Amino acid sequence: MQHDHSTPALAAEPSLGEGGPARQNLYEVWGDTIDVRDLAISIAIGAVVSLGAYFAAKLLMHSLVESAQMARAYAMLVGILGCLAGGAISAFFFKPKREVLEHQADQGFREQVVADLLKEYGSLGRLEDLSPEVTAELKELQLYELFRQAQAREEEARPVNASVAPSAGAAVSLSGGRG
Amino acid sequence: MDALLYEIMVAFALGLLGAVVFAAIGLVSGTDETTTLAPLTLLVVLLGAPPAGVLTFFLAGAVAKHMTHAVPTALLGIPGDTAATALLADANYLRKLGVPHIALRKMISGAAVAALIAVPLSVLFAVLLAPFGEVIKQFAPWVFLCAALTIAYFSAGRWAAVLALVPFVMVIVALQALTGQYGVKLSVSYFLGIAVAPLIASLFSLLAPAERQRMRRDDYRVFSLAPDVKGWSGYFPNPLKIINPRQTRVTAMAASVSSATFVFSPVAMTVIMGEIIGSRIKHAYDRLTTVITARNGVTESTYIAETLIPLMAFGLPLSPVAAGPAAPLFNAPPRFWVDNATGEINNLHNLLNTGEFLGYGMLAVIVAILVAYPFTMNFAHGAAAFVARRISHEAVIATFIGLVLVIGIWEGGLLGLMVILTIGLLGGFLARFLGFNIGVQFMAYYTAVLSVPAIVALAGS
Repeated sequence: MQHDHSTPALAAEPSLGEGGPARQNLYEVWGDTIDVRDLAISIAIGAVVSLGAYFAAKLLMHSLVESAQMARAYAMLVGILGCLAGGAISAFFFKPKREVLEHQADQGFREQVVADLLKEYGSLGRLEDLSPEVTAELKELQLYELFRQAQAREEEARPVNASVAPSAGAAVSLSGGRG
Repeated sequence: MDALLYEIMVAFALGLLGAVVFAAIGLVSGTDETTTLAPLTLLVVLLGAPPAGVLTFFLAGAVAKHMTHAVPTALLGIPGDTAATALLADANYLRKLGVPHIALRKMISGAAVAALIAVPLSVLFAVLLAPFGEVIKQFAPWVFLCAALTIAYFSAGRWAAVLALVPFVMVIVALQALTGQYGVKLSVSYFLGIAVAPLIASLFSLLAPAERQRMRRDDYRVFSLAPDVKGWSGYFPNPLKIINPRQTRVTAMAASVSSATFVFSPVAMTVIMGEIIGSRIKHAYDRLTTVITARNGVTESTYIAETLIPLMAFGLPLSPVAAGPAAPLFNAPPRFWVDNATGEINNLHNLLNTGEFLGYGMLAVIVAILVAYPFTMNFAHGAAAFVARRISHEAVIATFIGLVLVIGIWEGGLLGLMVILTIGLLGGFLARFLGFNIGVQFMAYYTAVLSVPAIVALAGS
């Protein structure tokens, strides 16, 4: 497993969850984590650069382009390029508040996922029912054995479940009948 | 002949531009389709691009974006855009199984197959619906009202969303009356306000102490990026070899069905088609991969059908996509317009014929596939790592704030800006607390513009 912090300087910090000086102003806004001070400065940069580009273009275009309508459209184009420039400047100054880990899923983790899938779908299904293409794909990805073992475990567990299920069903229909 | 060749070349060039720009935007998570497609398409319209070029720019952009949005979704577990939220659960299972590259390849192959099928089918449905076009145009105000009510009822908010239409429409009507007093007529500002509403609501919440406490995070968000695996040689792997014959069949079927149901929201259709397909597949792995293939196919087919069918058959933005991301194809004053009073329509509907819609539609899809498909296949890992490590969320927000300021001031000066702010804050909170989603808000705008005058006229007579 290889750790790679988006901000190299912070990688040396011993405890990540303790909230060092750089991590006191973190908030979740619009689906991701931001630093509130960085965000305020970024918004200011975005506003100044985009509007600056737009108004500068508007002044220039009116003298350069014949039709006022086209001048307005070009000013908007420059304004939108200004938005991108503002974003690029902010990206340059403020690094993402994300930690990106690069790793291969390990076996124990995969088994947990298979267990979650079983819980969600009720059954994993039988490998014997798969088309040859899907079987080949599973073998190539080295997932075949994982699903085969999970299927074996599921089939072992099933008789117990099967004896419970009908009585549960009956109870539901009984209470349903009374109402 | 030369004129035709010239037009095709311009359409090709704009399609290529759209595909490249939106393939890049698709990599950045949180870049909602409406927020990005609508303003850039509007710009292309206002700069005077020929009708065919406007169509190829928009379609190639939408198709390319819905391919590259698979990169953050599959590799990082963050939805690339609004449509990708419907793919996240399946993508996460495959990522945790250690095979995110499979999720990615299946998604973009499904997208390519569905996009190619959706164009001719949409044209076919549009031709079948066209005879009813005149009737629908006559009753357009009432059609929009019914569509708004239907879409509201089928949103997460159900009856709350239906009732919330009343105040939301009233606010739009009131704002229009206000800006009208100063001789300012706005449309794009309303769209942008609705599109960035969640961001505006988030930023306001950040300023309120109690809400801010709830948004607090103690640490950086952790993403795990799966390692790079390349399973083929060459630059352009055959999509039909990446998805198996059944996945191709199911995707084609889902694309066909979702092309016909063009009045429903793309996200809803993506979820529903996935549920229907998934319930018929027994094995968990087969189910995950087949559903994710078909679902991403549906994100393409809904966007194509919901743009082409209303555009060709009616010339009126009668679908959630047409009302939102594709709005500038219908309505971009002073160049394109839908006049309620006279019933006059001047947009791609009358500027392109059926053959041109089919030809340029296919051109756009093919260009988008040629750009986005091999790019995603070969460089997904590097692109995802770059975006996650170099593009901060602050920078993304700053870009959108810049967009709001420029578009608002461009369209209506300070009044435009105030309208974006008002609509954004109201729409954002209604969406968050009542499930009054973006699709309903767009339909509310059209209700305010087209239906309200008809209702007032009826009440007055």
